[in-house]
Amino acid sequence: MTDKSYAEEQLTRATLDHCVKCTICETACPVSAVTPLFPGPKFVGPQAERFRNGLSVDHSVDYCSSCGACTLACPQGVQIAELNSQARAVMKKNHMPLRDQLVSRTTLMGTFMTPVAPIANMALDMKPVRTIVEKVVGIHRNAPMPTARTQTLAGWLKKRPKPAEPATRGPIVYFHGCAGGYFETETSKKAILVLEHLGYEVLVPKQGCCGLAQQSNGLFEGATKSVLKLCEQLRSAGKDLTIVSTSGSCAGMLKHEAHEIMGVNAEELHDVGARTREMSEFLLDLYEAGELDTNFERNDITIPYHAPCQLKSQGMGMPAIALMELIPGVSVVESGQACCGIAGTYGLKKEKYDIAQAVGAALFKMVKETNPDLAVCDTETCRWQIEASSGVKTVHPIWLIHQAYGLPDPR
Amino acid sequence: MRRIETDVVVIGGGATGAGVVRDVAMRGYRAVLVDRADLGQGTTGRYHGLLHSGGRYVVSDARSATECAEENVIVTNIHADAVERTGGLFILPPEDPQDFGDKWWQGAKDTKVPAEEISIAEALKREPRINPHITRAFAVEDGAVDGWQMVWGAANSAKLYGAEILTYHRVAKIIREEDQVRAVMCTDEKTGEDVQIDCTFVINAAGAWAGEIAAMADCHDVTVVPGRGIMIAMNHRLVNSVVNRCIYPADGDILVPVHTVSIIGTTDVKADDPDKLTIPRDEVQQMMDAGEVLVPGFRKARAVHAWAGARPLVKDGRVSAEDTRHMSRGMSVLDHADRDGLKGLLTISGGKLTTYRLMAEHVVDQMCEQLGDERPCRTAEEAVPKSEEGKNYVVTHRLEEREEDRLADQIICECELMSRQSYVDLLEAQPQATLDDLRRQLRLGMGPCQGGFCTTRAAGLALEHENIDIERATGLLRLFLKNRWIGLWPILYGDQVRQTALDNWIFQGTLDVEHLPTPDEELTV
Amino acid sequence: MSKIVVIGAGIAGLTATLRCVAAGHQVTTITKGIGGLQLGQGTMDILGYMPNRVERPLDDLAALADEHPDHPYAILNADAVRTGVNYFAELVGEDLLVGDPERNVFLPTAVGALRPTALAQPSMMAGQLSDGDSVVMVGIRQLKDFYPGLAAQNLARSTLPDGGRAAVRATYIDLPARKGEADATALTYARVMDDPTFRQLFVTAVKKVIEPGEKVGLPAMLGLKDPNSWREVAEGLGTEVFEVPLQPPSVPGMRLNQTLVDKVKNARVRWVYGSQVLGGVAENGRLTGVVAGTTGHNVTFPADAVIHAPGGFESGALELDSYNHVFERTFDLPLAGADNEELLHGNYWGEEQPLFRVGVRVDEQMRPVDADGSAVYENLHAAGGIIANANRWREKSGDGIAVASAVRAADSLSTPTTAAASGAMDSKGDN
Repeated sequence: MTDKSYAEEQLTRATLDHCVKCTICETACPVSAVTPLFPGPKFVGPQAERFRNGLSVDHSVDYCSSCGACTLACPQGVQIAELNSQARAVMKKNHMPLRDQLVSRTTLMGTFMTPVAPIANMALDMKPVRTIVEKVVGIHRNAPMPTARTQTLAGWLKKRPKPAEPATRGPIVYFHGCAGGYFETETSKKAILVLEHLGYEVLVPKQGCCGLAQQSNGLFEGATKSVLKLCEQLRSAGKDLTIVSTSGSCAGMLKHEAHEIMGVNAEELHDVGARTREMSEFLLDLYEAGELDTNFERNDITIPYHAPCQLKSQGMGMPAIALMELIPGVSVVESGQACCGIAGTYGLKKEKYDIAQAVGAALFKMVKETNPDLAVCDTETCRWQIEASSGVKTVHPIWLIHQAYGLPDPR
Repeated sequence: MRRIETDVVVIGGGATGAGVVRDVAMRGYRAVLVDRADLGQGTTGRYHGLLHSGGRYVVSDARSATECAEENVIVTNIHADAVERTGGLFILPPEDPQDFGDKWWQGAKDTKVPAEEISIAEALKREPRINPHITRAFAVEDGAVDGWQMVWGAANSAKLYGAEILTYHRVAKIIREEDQVRAVMCTDEKTGEDVQIDCTFVINAAGAWAGEIAAMADCHDVTVVPGRGIMIAMNHRLVNSVVNRCIYPADGDILVPVHTVSIIGTTDVKADDPDKLTIPRDEVQQMMDAGEVLVPGFRKARAVHAWAGARPLVKDGRVSAEDTRHMSRGMSVLDHADRDGLKGLLTISGGKLTTYRLMAEHVVDQMCEQLGDERPCRTAEEAVPKSEEGKNYVVTHRLEEREEDRLADQIICECELMSRQSYVDLLEAQPQATLDDLRRQLRLGMGPCQGGFCTTRAAGLALEHENIDIERATGLLRLFLKNRWIGLWPILYGDQVRQTALDNWIFQGTLDVEHLPTPDEELTV
Repeated sequence: MSKIVVIGAGIAGLTATLRCVAAGHQVTTITKGIGGLQLGQGTMDILGYMPNRVERPLDDLAALADEHPDHPYAILNADAVRTGVNYFAELVGEDLLVGDPERNVFLPTAVGALRPTALAQPSMMAGQLSDGDSVVMVGIRQLKDFYPGLAAQNLARSTLPDGGRAAVRATYIDLPARKGEADATALTYARVMDDPTFRQLFVTAVKKVIEPGEKVGLPAMLGLKDPNSWREVAEGLGTEVFEVPLQPPSVPGMRLNQTLVDKVKNARVRWVYGSQVLGGVAENGRLTGVVAGTTGHNVTFPADAVIHAPGGFESGALELDSYNHVFERTFDLPLAGADNEELLHGNYWGEEQPLFRVGVRVDEQMRPVDADGSAVYENLHAAGGIIANANRWREKSGDGIAVASAVRAADSLSTPTTAAASGAMDSKGDN
């Protein structure tokens, strides 16, 4: 590619030129498999895109969950899900429902909920309150919502004692994502402890939202601001440091989605994106380089594992499987399903809730049948969805590593 | 032999002929239009789809520029369903003569072609893919027109006024009685039947073939020089408005967004035979290079189809016949009463699609004069059927329609979002049509897969029509694949190779079409 | 145990992957997306035409090799093809492929041609017709990819392998796969056919339109996961049924693909899905790694040997650019037939288009070779559609070439005794 202007255009819209109409994406789409309301990725993606000129006339594109299974399946390199996200942004420009604004502002929701967590949790657990929320805001009454913690990760980091052992491997940046900062702080703490156990000095700069939820709801302007601010924050921890994340989907936003979907081309994004590693990817790379402590305690367990769609989209395979199976006794069963249905915030919405449940049905069944007590999945919203719909406790892979190293529970 | 009686026979089913038959019928004459093939199958359909603002001619041909500007407004109104008001830009690339910018701007003022100079930043905002190094940009009122839709609109309007449209009727002879035209003899190409159409007047609007027709009335030496131009359709709209290179009219100076594609045109080379137009590789390369000037990276974009058309340019002796671009693009009417002593025959030729209506008006005025009738032209005042002034075509139409009927109907051609109902309805109305005839009206098989996924469906549905047997249905399939390939192979590179490989895989690999029972004689019409 | 990287997950890539796993190698398979198996007809072609119809494909390979000494089958002899085909048949099992590689069967296509293939899915086998057979082709109104009239009437005017004719008629049923959906694909039907309730509805509907004694031809959609779906339909109808493959999405192809991908994943192959291989890292004439573009950054997968099975022009592994230059995208391998001035011609129904013969020339070990016949890289092997000088779709030879070359490549891996050092030396196409 000699010319930059076209190379930039190549980002997404131009990839529709690669479409040979082969239907492979249609066979991979978990949404069109369960409802005819969604015309399928080929239709709303490269096909419809040829008919768009800035006007939005095909609202069925909103049934796309942006799970990315189509982009991943496409052997020709059409960025189908990304095309859909862009079309949705055009569609929503003028009439964004309140709900899409609310569920997509995750940091705000987190900061707002933490100080009053018990009340917030109680409210969200109460059917009548949820019914009102459904009517007014459009979030389905049974949709899984995050549980707020009384202490944020930042609060824990401030109060906890310094690590006893000095770092032997130098500094590393930890990116926890909003959920890891406010809701799922346990995962973040365990990740930090594991990294420290491996000899790293773990830097946790103050970090805001990556903007993924806004992006997936078509709010590109706000999302761009968020992601760029986050990049600056992560860069502030130090130049050239590896950035490790336990939030598979937020890592994906930094690695490719902000660039491919919203066309953000800032140097700070490329810098941060190139340095970001998903936690299992990072640990498995260490293992393959012969640098991972494999002194794991035995754990005789069969675990259902679901790789979230946004993790699969990163094109790195499923490193969590190989990583967990380094632990003696662990046997992983991969779900084989494209998506759990939640796809970020999709499954929270009133009109999409049933579709999301149908998308995830085979996964929930597989999880329950494989191990009714424990499942593993790399992304927060997917864990909430699996837990809520299957009743099986679902954790990040780092929980198993943390346990296998015999590390103490974070306090 | 079938016999028909009428007042006026119009020969040629291109834009000019359709315009003439409409005008004639609207002035109250009985009229019949004949064409050896389908409407718009000649030059009208082998065109880049530009509805001129006049901007192209402000320096080279002031009169054409003004005519185009005026007719643009009229055609946009009377053919709203065929015309998209895309707007256009004239952009001046840094490598072209920079003084042409001022000349162009002065020309636009002199010829009253509406234009506005805009900043480079504004031009790039409107069309982000164009060459960012341009030095000037002018906005004009260019539009995109679907030639087939326009021709069928005019023909259907003529039908409303009582005219008869006979496609696949090849003229064999124009019968004269001494110095007066009396009848036109035709052969019905579908049935082989002879047809005699008795008349008092014939208007020869056969375009590049007008010389042959005139000769059938023993009027010789009517020389129409076919100027071959190739056009290439790119897979999607690289631009959403017409982008013109701001230079003296030359090859590869325009990129037009028409429906879902954008079309780059065109070359201009003298052709010997309008029925044997090639798409030479060097001209394809020339178009690619020209595309790069307008849209950097053009060669990486996907080309889906190419075609060649023959401009009917009347030789006027002022310039060499090798250089057709500098011959008059204006229309010319030959009055065979003056020229050959034959009354009741006019030959109309030249002109542009944009001014088709005006051409028709001129020639029909001349006919009325010869007949001594005073009947004013009304074609500018009334919209054609199914077209409503102010409701112009937009590219989103089909997507919007399928959004409505997607669950209730099937999409047969997915690339162009053609519904099963629209196909079955048209087949019912034109059961003798080939898939190409249907394509011209429905865009069947004109998208990226070029028939890969829809050809079998189209043939399968055709077989369900009571008048189509297995021999014909299979023949339709074979003919369509053959014809698609003619426009495919000259531009086969990049992504379209992958498509062709998959299409071959489907037809040869999975369906084994090559080993269907072969016909004794290959279907042609 | 060697580290093998397989590029591509079509029929050749999946077969090579599993063959390497069976040999005890540690395998990483990198694929841009889902492979081509589900675009094809879902049977095992060896050789169908040369150009006359072939009855005994393995017997005729020698004649083909004599006539075209550069044909892949000239390098892979009948034994290699037999080995490859049998291995593949074993992998997918008798629920998915039956028949005899020595003998072709002739099965109706969706437009009514009689297509030769070697092994086919058991659900298709009743499509072998004999003189005097009564057949009914049944379409579904809501399925636009199968027109029973087209299939029936062309079939009725075709001469059968035994020289006779069959009486074939066409009919339709009206049965939406999902409520309120007039436009469904074969896949939509296949999914609901896995549900016994819908299967019963289907049988009831078809029963109403068939006559006693008729064989029933149906679009290939009789279940995706449940291998007994079609048998239950046949039992329910009380007659023989056969599936007719359609244009993509191909349900029979998906069955094969899913079976093999599941096997690959269960074998703990590192399955890198959704990544394009950008090039290789070479040292002293050997590849030491393969560079793949994952998001955010490129990853080098270390390799002792590489099996390159990316497909041909259909996947973009081979490209023709706008200057009429053909090249191989990943390693810029030398191509046979690429310097032909006339790669294409204008007669669709005429001679084959030479472009689609272009590919890499290989040695006995399936290693791409240069003009002198020496291996480009000591440890790079090719398999499947990228290999030059076959006319796959016309000959119906693509599957046989793919599995035979994949097995040959896997069996002749050139790997060093000590694991290759990594270290990026000569990273190609890394952008």
